[in-house]
Amino acid sequence: MQYTTDVRIIRLMCTGRVDPTMIADAFIEGADGLMVVGCHFGDCHYITGNVQARVKVGLAVRLLDYAGLNPARISFSQCSSAEGERFVSLITAFDRSIRELGPLGTGDRLEPPVLKKKLHIARTALGREKLRWVAGKFTEFTTTGNKYGEKFTDHEMWRTLDTIIMDEMATHEILDALQSRPQAVLELARELRLPPPHILKYVLALQRRGLVGLAGVEGLSPVYRVIDQEAATAA
Amino acid sequence: MAEEIRIGVFVCDCGSNIAGYLDVKELAEYAKTLPHVVYVKENLYTCSEGGSNEIKAAIKEQNLNRVVVASCTPRTHEPLFRGTCGEGGLNPFLFEMVNIRDQCSWVHMQERKEGTAKAMDLIRMGVAKAALLEPQEPIQSEINPRAMVMGAGISGMTAALALANRGYEVVLVEKSSETGGLLRSLDRLAPSGIDAASLADRHAEMVGNHPNIRLLTSTTVEEIQGYIGHFNVTTNTKGVRDGFEAGVIIVATGAGVLKPVGLFQYDGEKVINQLELEERLKSETFSPGNVVMIQCAGARNEERKYCSRICCMVAIKNAIALKERNARTGVRILYRDIQAYGTENEALFQKAKELGVLFIKYDPARPPQVQQGTVKVFHDLLGRELSLPQDLVVLSTPLIAGDDNEVISRLLRVSLDENKFFLEGHVKLKPLDFATDGVYLCGNAHYPATVREAISQALGAASRASIPLSKGVMSVEPIVSTLVDEEACRGCGLCVALCPYGALEIVKTEKGRKVRVIPVACKGCGVCAATCYQHALSVNSYTDDQVRKQISAFLNP
Repeated sequence: MQYTTDVRIIRLMCTGRVDPTMIADAFIEGADGLMVVGCHFGDCHYITGNVQARVKVGLAVRLLDYAGLNPARISFSQCSSAEGERFVSLITAFDRSIRELGPLGTGDRLEPPVLKKKLHIARTALGREKLRWVAGKFTEFTTTGNKYGEKFTDHEMWRTLDTIIMDEMATHEILDALQSRPQAVLELARELRLPPPHILKYVLALQRRGLVGLAGVEGLSPVYRVIDQEAATAA
Repeated sequence: MAEEIRIGVFVCDCGSNIAGYLDVKELAEYAKTLPHVVYVKENLYTCSEGGSNEIKAAIKEQNLNRVVVASCTPRTHEPLFRGTCGEGGLNPFLFEMVNIRDQCSWVHMQERKEGTAKAMDLIRMGVAKAALLEPQEPIQSEINPRAMVMGAGISGMTAALALANRGYEVVLVEKSSETGGLLRSLDRLAPSGIDAASLADRHAEMVGNHPNIRLLTSTTVEEIQGYIGHFNVTTNTKGVRDGFEAGVIIVATGAGVLKPVGLFQYDGEKVINQLELEERLKSETFSPGNVVMIQCAGARNEERKYCSRICCMVAIKNAIALKERNARTGVRILYRDIQAYGTENEALFQKAKELGVLFIKYDPARPPQVQQGTVKVFHDLLGRELSLPQDLVVLSTPLIAGDDNEVISRLLRVSLDENKFFLEGHVKLKPLDFATDGVYLCGNAHYPATVREAISQALGAASRASIPLSKGVMSVEPIVSTLVDEEACRGCGLCVALCPYGALEIVKTEKGRKVRVIPVACKGCGVCAATCYQHALSVNSYTDDQVRKQISAFLNP
């Protein structure tokens, strides 16, 4: 039983411990691939830890994919402690697929410097209330339902999360961009490669939250700035 | 000022297990270059007496306040090395283990150079984590020596008596007005031929007379709070609420019997189920003419996929009873498969055949048709339809999960299987325990069982339950969740809902609603910490910082 020397193992009690931000951290630090390996479904040593991990890892995959990372760099697999052969074959297959992709920044949607910046934004979003709240409610909403007894399918929950991912990425990117200097909607739209009406919607939402305010008017365009650097960082 | 971090690293040769495939000298030299490392020692066997003495001596002489051992697997050796640290005067949780045998020497046998490089990385990651470790104290909690047994059928009464005879106080809660459960409906028990009612009476009498057992009939359990050692139970007896504390709980709530309404012309008169047959068998004069039994009535179908397991033997037992009462009674059993496991059951199956009971296999795709005076069945082996005369049709219906199982599973935070029976902690490793500590299970509540099996399980569950009861105190490894940032916690309860062990609760404090970890109940899975959007929770020895530090130590040394 032999496998590639290119993998390093970090031991956790349960895959349920995997915080989605840890996954982002690994790529920010420069990992080329990351595997989360836990118990088989229905046979979790911690009852339902792997069910929660599925949501957390799934969230990280979708968000990092949106941020420009090739989602094939993340694998969530099941392997019991008695399945050494299976572990080897999982690692070997993953290693092969990562080798085909090449190091981080090749085979991904974005080039290294832009990718890294986006990964930082994604990490911020993964640490914040909105996505974490929905991820935390995921299994409840798909099994017992919400307060009103409405049940949602996995598909509906992932679609909801996908929408929030877009909102959160844009929101944090705008905050990040405005923290470096005040900008108009059109400039932000060019930098973030999003349609100006979308940017306007997010900027106005940030204004309502009291995080962003008007810095002045350049020509015909209002220029926005971050009101409080500290509050913007914590947002 | 924080105390200076002084890490000692012990690199184990494991004879040739590690040293044969990795350059341990190089590993030891490398470890010396790592931050905070003040002492490095290569051992032939770190786990030997000599090795542990060297650890203990180094803790004292080098003033070590963290120990890292790079050797084999924590699965077998972490407790040992923790113990060694403890003996050396160091808090056992200031120890970190790096697995360079299973993760390097064993799996990279042909790649000495790369394997050694990987081991260096792993040691660096372990040292980085060790620097952030904090001392932990074992969690101790007293166990209330009282047990609650839910359900006073044969399982519940057996379990209650077993615990009471060991000297523990038992509260036996029964929702109906009398004890005995399903036994009250049965005639005689196979293979012994014991009268079911007298077995129930005998147990009821022992329970009633036992000074350690308090029996509460017509009582339901309304609320259960707490955890192993301290379950706070609220009961309701005919509208009167009462409460008590118990250290352990045994679930022996039994099962229900399917009334096969709408199946095979069931009417409770001419077409009855096995339980109703047993009621009639209690009368000595009862002797029908021709009896046809239909197995798997309402079982092993789309609605109930499972096999109720005991119905074959019930049918065989009752068929024998009918034949022995009157040899001229025609008994025909229409079956899909016969479950007659074990020597005694197999013997009964043979005996039934010898007595002239006819076994006819039917295909579920062409089920028997019950008609006036006959049952039409397609004989699978003969390949043609038979018309069997009948004066009485008996349906073998499955035991079904108790209708309050879902309520009880929520009260206790334990799982049910797909058929709503209670699910044990592990099929083989914890067959009588739930995954939640201090809660045990036996009898039909788990899955249809014969009386004999129910009794064995009850004795087993009582035995399991008496482990914490006899210890009186339980000690838990302190790798549990902790509220590290009380300020940040908003008391939202997101984590409480996700905790698989009921180890979190929301409490009112001076600072508002906050989460509280119940350390004895926590297993340290970390779901709560990975979920909290306020990052208020963490897991001892697996904190966010420690894991991040391992990641960055690997990728950006």
